[in-house]
Amino acid sequence: MKTDLLVIGGGAAGIAAALEASAQGLEVLLLERDTQLGGILNQCIHNGFGLHVFKEELTGPEYAERFIHMFHDKDIAYKLNTTVLDIRKEDAGFVVSASSLQEGWLELECRAIMLASGCYERTRGQIQLPGDRPKGVMPAGSAQRYLNMDGYLVGKDVFILGSGDIGLIMARRMKLEGANVHGVAEIMPHSNGLTRNIVQCLHDYDIPLFLSHTVTDIRGKDRLEGVTIQQVDENWKPISGTDKHFSVDTLLLSVGLVPDTMVFESLDIAMHPVTKGAVVDQHYQTSIPGIFACGNALHVHDLVDYVTEESRRAGRAAARYVKGLSVRQKRLALNSGANIHYTLPQYIDTADFNGVISCMFRVTKKAEQGEFVIRQGDRIIQRKKARFLAPAEMEQLDLDQTMLSDHETPLTLDFEVIRP
Amino acid sequence: MYDFIIIGGGVTGALIARTLSRYQVKVCLLEKESDIGNHATLANSAIIHAGFDPEPGTLKARLGVRGNAMYETLHKELHVPLLRTGAYVVARHEDDVAILNALYERALKNGVEGAKLLSGEQARKLEPALHRNSVKVLDLPSTKVTYPWEVALSALENAVSNGVEYRLEAEVVGIVRTDKVYAVTLANGHALKSKAIINAAGAFADKVAGMIETHVPYKITPRRGEYLVLDKSVRGFVERVLYPVPTEKGKGVLVVPQVHGNILLGPTSEFQDSPSAVTNHQADLSMIRQAASTLAEAIPFDKVIRTFAGVRATSSAKDFYIRQSLEHRGFYHVAGIDSPGLTAAPAIAEYVVETLIKQDYDLESNPDFNPYGMQYPHFHEASLAKKRQMIAENPAFGNIVCKCERVTEAEVLMHIHRPCGGHSVKAIKKRARAGSGLCQGGYCEGTVVKLLARELKQPLETIDYYRKDTPILMAETKVKR
Amino acid sequence: MKKLICIVCPIGCHLEIDAQHNVTGNRCKRGIGYAIEEVTRPTRMVTTTVRLLSQEHPRLSVKTSKPLPKEAIFRLMAALESLTVNPPVYMHQVIMRDFEGLGVDIIATRTIPG
Repeated sequence: MKTDLLVIGGGAAGIAAALEASAQGLEVLLLERDTQLGGILNQCIHNGFGLHVFKEELTGPEYAERFIHMFHDKDIAYKLNTTVLDIRKEDAGFVVSASSLQEGWLELECRAIMLASGCYERTRGQIQLPGDRPKGVMPAGSAQRYLNMDGYLVGKDVFILGSGDIGLIMARRMKLEGANVHGVAEIMPHSNGLTRNIVQCLHDYDIPLFLSHTVTDIRGKDRLEGVTIQQVDENWKPISGTDKHFSVDTLLLSVGLVPDTMVFESLDIAMHPVTKGAVVDQHYQTSIPGIFACGNALHVHDLVDYVTEESRRAGRAAARYVKGLSVRQKRLALNSGANIHYTLPQYIDTADFNGVISCMFRVTKKAEQGEFVIRQGDRIIQRKKARFLAPAEMEQLDLDQTMLSDHETPLTLDFEVIRP
Repeated sequence: MYDFIIIGGGVTGALIARTLSRYQVKVCLLEKESDIGNHATLANSAIIHAGFDPEPGTLKARLGVRGNAMYETLHKELHVPLLRTGAYVVARHEDDVAILNALYERALKNGVEGAKLLSGEQARKLEPALHRNSVKVLDLPSTKVTYPWEVALSALENAVSNGVEYRLEAEVVGIVRTDKVYAVTLANGHALKSKAIINAAGAFADKVAGMIETHVPYKITPRRGEYLVLDKSVRGFVERVLYPVPTEKGKGVLVVPQVHGNILLGPTSEFQDSPSAVTNHQADLSMIRQAASTLAEAIPFDKVIRTFAGVRATSSAKDFYIRQSLEHRGFYHVAGIDSPGLTAAPAIAEYVVETLIKQDYDLESNPDFNPYGMQYPHFHEASLAKKRQMIAENPAFGNIVCKCERVTEAEVLMHIHRPCGGHSVKAIKKRARAGSGLCQGGYCEGTVVKLLARELKQPLETIDYYRKDTPILMAETKVKR
Repeated sequence: MKKLICIVCPIGCHLEIDAQHNVTGNRCKRGIGYAIEEVTRPTRMVTTTVRLLSQEHPRLSVKTSKPLPKEAIFRLMAALESLTVNPPVYMHQVIMRDFEGLGVDIIATRTIPG
């Protein structure tokens, strides 16, 4: 049996995309590698989810459960404990190889694929942190899973590198469960987490935040015995004489997330150097027609609500593709201009250019206020003022297609800082 | 009473154990760590060198070239992985050319097969990532790459299946010889007796020798090498091992394709006091990036997934120090095994047993000796038909534990329960590769902990990361304090 | 004048509140209530876990039914240490009622079938 859309991943992104594609009449099959649906939301037991989508504040498991209910209500086909290992392009679609304990090896045919496999955490090796290599240095999300799902603390005296939200949330969680959290170091001069997490995770528990600091030494033979942090200059070089030592048994790393695109390995899909996810157009379609991506597998989001909204759009776009309503024509580049870290989409497909395009992007620096400007050639086609901007927070701008002057000239998004 | 005690469970000790198991002798291998091969065997460049570098006439030259050839047999008998990469030694400016020509002469003298000189241009056609400044290249087609740790494991496991005993966490703290019998005391207080001792203690060899020798004929000066590991998605970036022209400090920073598809960059070479400290230094890691960039163009440094360091057992003897003690009959030193130690290891084992030991002992062949090791399947390398068959026979092959390296539950279980099985997270990583990939265990570590706990019937909080008392899970929550 | 960062939602408005409880800097009216409460009797939502008698799910995620006075947080954590729950559990099922008479219940944040 050939499925219309095969969704890889049963977290927030996969469920939302599957729901939307199914609502558009598609035959959907969702594959989840874990024993349950919900993905990373299951271990994010803190609240702060759902303000955009449900207009109320939910915990991760609550947010997941609402979507899982909707998913089951629609009777969408799914398989748990099933890991996708490979994708092959065939004449009229794709063959996905997957494997599970219950069903063994599966070769599943489909017309289109939605990658919604989430992201993985950057590790000590990836940031090339020097020092001894004892046990006790661990990504914060792994520690979160052990604590919230399995019921174990990975350490009793903890230091955290990186002020991303997972790091902040884990500082509070470890503290509440009885660990001593000695501090959080952030190499940037500002936090990468939401301000309210700085307040309620660090300030509330008198956990110091060391901005413009990084870990420069790790000590310990078998287990971690201590870390040294140092202040860094504007080029992120450690300043000598600013050393501070902490005797800890655990160093949690909250140093970034990277889209998990491993199943794309055998395909020649264009990847984006900044997002580390696939390059997509406004239909969330990758460089291979029929393969779509959404959620953290595409680019890392700060709010699950944005994942849901994006994945719904992606699910809709996939449905139009499968129904033959959307055939790729020309792709105009949407380039990241001044002070823009990346945009999403990176291309605008001139075919099936229906109405408004939701552009997501990040700025490269903090600013009190400024203006986003989209130009096509020299012509300004859209502008929007904004306040309180930070690289850690994703921005959104709706691009009106009727403003495009032609279907040839690439577009550029700039962020122009307005000095107070 | 043993006939031979081997001190040290690195690749040299393990291969000596296997060679001894060809004879009717009672052998025990002692390893101080909780798993074998935890030091130099685990952390090195993984290269089976062609033998272009050592001075002709030395043990390093002789055993290096012989060892290289012996890996073909090990590959057949023990199924150790072998990547027949070949290598280029690269002259990057005109000053290097004279040295490169001399190395070529030396390679011929050492009996290196197929060595030839190429122009930079010729070499770049075959190895496009080679740096554009390369002027002349020494091509060494007999260079290979293996997974050194697996060489040690499969050699020891084969030895064990042929009757050798081994003990982990068995640190030797004292050696006494009375009435031609050696008494070896372990840190845990146990005492073992043996007629002969083979000291294959790597960076600790001089310390072990000092337990019995009034004059230790060599001193180990540990030399640290740091490395960067690139993810396997870079497979094919280079096909061959790339060496710069060596200096008196050693072979320099290399670019080395690995058997599992990764690429290794390194090593550095720094003397240090500690025989065991494997610390990474910012300056050394930067040096590797800089040095490697003079060998290859556009190295994808954003694909670094790991850094590590290893310690080489460099000795004051310059050459390998492999001979019987001048003071104590039956005490054999196998020391100073630094580069090309991995290459030479099978030939070292052969030399120790067939040449040195046979001079003093009559060894009778073991008629039951089986040279073939167990073959452990890699699910993801199997054909589709084979995969289906494997799952049909054992559904646990269907359960993917580590999705980066595509390791199944069945493989993890096999590596827990094999004769030289692994009982820690790191021990499973070394055997099954779970946790070696892009996410470095972020996804599978918890599953491996749970599988170990289930299979070993131990509580979760007793499952160690690697050594004793390094549990991943330190304290259970919701326990009334 | 006291400076606060609003934590009602993820926007994190920079608030100022004076002695007469006049609040500025808020983008929505919830910020006013937050600022006044924060200077008089600060409260926080608490999310944590309790022990669940289940092989597959050894912990159940829970939250307070409404914000709890800050000073009571660690007493709540201690009280939850000795609590054990049996499946099935349903989302928003009350796990502990009216903690210390503060009018705050502890409720499950997910369903674990029996």
